[in-house]
Amino acid sequence: MEINIFQAVLLGIMASLTSVIGALGTTYSWYTLSRPLVASLVVGIILGDIKTAIMVGAAIQVVYIALVTPGGTVSADLRAVCYIGIPLAVAAVKGANLDPSGVQGAGLAVSIGALVGTIGTVMFYSTATMNLIWQQIGWKAIDKLNYRTIYLTNFIFPLVSHFVIAFLPTFFITYYGTDVVANLKEWLPMDGIPMKTMFTLGSLLPAVGIGILLKQVVQNPVDLIIFFFGFTLAAALKINLLGAAFVGAMIAFLNYKIIMVGAAGKKAAAAAEEDL
Amino acid sequence: MSVKLNKKTKDQAFWWWYHGNLTGFTHQHMQTFGFMCAMIPVIKELYKDDTHRLRSLKTYTPFFNTEPQIGSMVVGISVGLEEARANGHEEIDDEMINGIRAGLMGPLAGIGDSLIPGTYIPILLSIALGLSTGGSVLGPLFYAVVYITSMTLFMKYIFDKGYELGGRAVDVIIGEQATAFRESMVMVGTIVIGALAASWIGVSTALKFDLGTYIVDGVEKANVLVLQDTFNNIYPNLLSLLTVLFTWYLMTKKKMSPITVMLILVVIALVGVLIGFFDPGLSY
Repeated sequence: MEINIFQAVLLGIMASLTSVIGALGTTYSWYTLSRPLVASLVVGIILGDIKTAIMVGAAIQVVYIALVTPGGTVSADLRAVCYIGIPLAVAAVKGANLDPSGVQGAGLAVSIGALVGTIGTVMFYSTATMNLIWQQIGWKAIDKLNYRTIYLTNFIFPLVSHFVIAFLPTFFITYYGTDVVANLKEWLPMDGIPMKTMFTLGSLLPAVGIGILLKQVVQNPVDLIIFFFGFTLAAALKINLLGAAFVGAMIAFLNYKIIMVGAAGKKAAAAAEEDL
Repeated sequence: MSVKLNKKTKDQAFWWWYHGNLTGFTHQHMQTFGFMCAMIPVIKELYKDDTHRLRSLKTYTPFFNTEPQIGSMVVGISVGLEEARANGHEEIDDEMINGIRAGLMGPLAGIGDSLIPGTYIPILLSIALGLSTGGSVLGPLFYAVVYITSMTLFMKYIFDKGYELGGRAVDVIIGEQATAFRESMVMVGTIVIGALAASWIGVSTALKFDLGTYIVDGVEKANVLVLQDTFNNIYPNLLSLLTVLFTWYLMTKKKMSPITVMLILVVIALVGVLIGFFDPGLSY
């Protein structure tokens, strides 16, 4: 499978627009177009194979399901995963004739996603650094009350950073990278140590995504019971995700009621004490 | 005579923030310029002379950074405070506005990060992943439509609330009811994460032990202990559960970064393959 110049340009543009500091803003770009699952639809449209792209994107999404970026410390900027990783993974999965929804296809996709993930981190820090130049122009504009330049500093000048740091690398890697990926078969046999490790890693990596999420919500080990409860719903009782969400909602609803009743009780007790 | 901001100007402030909160990001001044861009229409309408305009614009030059979506509340509050200042409330000075901004950005970042990318997005994505089985476009479309619509409405709502309440806005998000609500939301999140881990992680071992042969009804049979079956009898998908707990332990108790944990997993994968514990058993 080949990615032509036109497709590589479109992928480069998408990489420039998305990401946490992308040109389209947080809600559309970072939390929507930079989610691998959503990106896979866009990549699928660009490459002309929506079905494969979405299956690949879904597998990669699991790894990054809980990506939280507190205070601009970005562990992985997903634009490289989305707009370099997914296209290459689609090419690789098709090149190797794997079933993208199977364990093997998903494993390969996840590993390729993780490989290019570091490129995203480099892109993030480079863009943020290059934007310092534009902010120097912006600071001078404040004293002169030059509103137009302040807007340019925040919206338009950073496009130059994106072109240099996101567009060009994405274009070249997706345009030339498919040849490399297509020859994977000969260079790396499936029963060799590198490929076995890569696929094993593909099955282990989603645990990091879940682990990050778990870290957000569970500080006290006792709270792990809630997590085990959810795990058991799916693993032992075979309830699907939406079902588990409703069971969870019911329990959370009860929890809310209990807290509120407790708070009302406390208030009543305090009032009674005052009366005495 | 009191000045009241146009609805149009307030909307402008909101949309500049909505689109530009992080577009000019640097590590030195993360969302400062995004915030300033939102305040410009407000400042231009409230003050007609350059001295006041410059004073008010400079109020918003200190560092600002928070979870930008829930942070639209801070923009709303600042618009409300700026309006009050233009109406002669001299006690509202730079120090007070920046005190409120700085006081809110930390707690709101914590609440926002744990509720939006930490809870709401994973729940939506889990549902979307379920909908995209077999490569269906339904999953991505569901996520994009539901997320963008709900988040835009939410941001507009808390922006308006912030404007109305000015400095009192804090009560809405830190009151008792809000705490109970937040705790309960986190609870749904944790349960869904558990279900997600069980559905989407499939760590398994290929290790088998040949225990010789045994004879049933005169026929000799191989006695092989398949370790994976044993694990499944203890608890379904046990290895996946243990892997998640391991990563959680490293990140929470050992304070490791996700990158370090990924590197440790690379080592575990390699060692596991070398000793035969892991073997995907694949061929082209």
